[in-house]
Amino acid sequence: MSPVLPLMIAWVAAVVLALLDSRRRWVAWLVVAALALVFASSLALLLDVLAHGPRTTVAGGWPMGIGIVFSADALGATFAAVSVGVVLAAVLFEALHGTRSRTFGALALFLTTGLCGLFLTGDVFNFYVFFELAMIAAYSLTTYGQEARQLRAGLVFAVVNLLGSFIFLIGVAGLYRVTGTLTMELVAERVATVDSAATVPIAISLLVAFLVKLGLFPFHFWLPTVYASARPAVAAILGGALANIGAYGLLRFGADILPETLRLGAPVLLVLGIASLLYGSLQAVARRSAPGVLAYSSIGQVGYVIVALAIGGPVGYAAAILYAVVNSLNKALLFLASELRGWLVGLAFAVGALSVAGVPPAAGFLAKLEVLRAGVEQGAVVLGLLVLGSALSFVYMFQIYQHDFWREERSVPAGGRAIGAVTASVAVVVLALGLWPEPLLAVSRRAAAMLAGGAG
Amino acid sequence: MTLPTQTLARLLLAPLLVLAAGMLVKGYTDVGDGFAAGLLAAVGFVLQDVAFGQRRAESLLPVRWAYRLALGGLGLALAVAVAPMLAGEPVLKHRPEPGVSPVKVGTLELITPVLFDVGVCLLVLGTVVTGLHLFAHPGEEEEQRS
Repeated sequence: MSPVLPLMIAWVAAVVLALLDSRRRWVAWLVVAALALVFASSLALLLDVLAHGPRTTVAGGWPMGIGIVFSADALGATFAAVSVGVVLAAVLFEALHGTRSRTFGALALFLTTGLCGLFLTGDVFNFYVFFELAMIAAYSLTTYGQEARQLRAGLVFAVVNLLGSFIFLIGVAGLYRVTGTLTMELVAERVATVDSAATVPIAISLLVAFLVKLGLFPFHFWLPTVYASARPAVAAILGGALANIGAYGLLRFGADILPETLRLGAPVLLVLGIASLLYGSLQAVARRSAPGVLAYSSIGQVGYVIVALAIGGPVGYAAAILYAVVNSLNKALLFLASELRGWLVGLAFAVGALSVAGVPPAAGFLAKLEVLRAGVEQGAVVLGLLVLGSALSFVYMFQIYQHDFWREERSVPAGGRAIGAVTASVAVVVLALGLWPEPLLAVSRRAAAMLAGGAG
Repeated sequence: MTLPTQTLARLLLAPLLVLAAGMLVKGYTDVGDGFAAGLLAAVGFVLQDVAFGQRRAESLLPVRWAYRLALGGLGLALAVAVAPMLAGEPVLKHRPEPGVSPVKVGTLELITPVLFDVGVCLLVLGTVVTGLHLFAHPGEEEEQRS
């Protein structure tokens, strides 16, 4: 199966749907159908990759090293499937709500195109191009709703992340300068012989760019405004799909392309990860509105991914991948459920809260378990801080659950049964992955083994 | 704006479009490509805006269609990329294949990448003109189409 299939379906659908008005019901459903097709093809690609190994194709059928490479491996295909799934849930949610802007559907599809492209490319510069495509769509999506606070959030988001993208581009230019190629596989091969005086600045610029995208502690300042002001569906897309760029980018560029430099920088990542974890959790405990708590919780939760990445090795990478996947599902679920009410939604929110807090049987338990397993080697201090972060996440999630769902005085539009069902189905996925964790564990271990083995 | 500016702007539009077409064709043997051609063509339209003012320039030129032009260009470029996939070949595979000698018009070889570049050119032109229009009249677009 060609690795560009999901990408091309999304892209063509985006162009066609850009001509139509998403406020019409049938167009909104067409967007959902197109995304369902993209989701199905990315799942098929994932299964194909798991069964037959990585798939690579060179644009134009040119030989390797001349043409632009597209490549799907276990890591990329997993992130593609999860991210497209989250976008699908959010768009379905918005279609049931009644889409409010003519461009929503096309923008969501362009964002999906960018995400599929960057997860399935084997070319460093193409990664940047698709990254920028996804980001531009995201800037516009943030303003969805058209109220003053959303426009403000859109501006903050665009300004900060354009800087991040620029820093990333400098890193890409640096990689090209020292290796003379843009194909990831060749870059990884050649960069091993390059002096670390040249690779460290490049690695730092890439790291900063991805940390800005993830919203890790010292680079988090834009995140609460954006996540808390965006509409729930958009916040779910930003927190559940777009943030994956940061996690995937760090895994791809750190573990796959610059493993030596990653090892060199591991202590820094460990400190940053734990700082983010504690800062995000403490801030979240102090918030009283669901979007605020969720925004700061995002800052805290990515800390786990970074800590796992810093620990490294097959166990650490597997934990990082698993945590990133589970975290994106959690965030999608919680943001979607945050403004709805009713017993079904309450139940769904509780599942998400359990998952963030790391209580079985939700998938979050598994993810935290893996991170703690990886953290055992780092000694008592790191382990203690990870557990402290966990405990705080338990506190803030249930504080907000109690505050929002047990008090009946807030009259919020119930939002219909179908919307509740969409949210509940994401919750079912989170529960199912917790109850039957084997496939997800196997996938993340496969991808981690590939990263640790150094084979692109 | 003064009369000489307006005259010059009007006189320059057609040559700029020809130059853009030349840039596109030249791209296969020399400096130039669809992107540069699109930018050059867009400069022609920007010049009209500057010389005549937004309102008058837009009443003379089909600016309303720029949005569709951009999407049409993107669609054309994508079609060239996707079509080989339908035949089971790698994405962006071009016809006639490398090594096969194509039909030539002057120095221009009639190969599918030319269509791709035409698409890119239209996309760039349409995007610049639409962007300019939106900056001049923010918010209007949404109302018109609703």
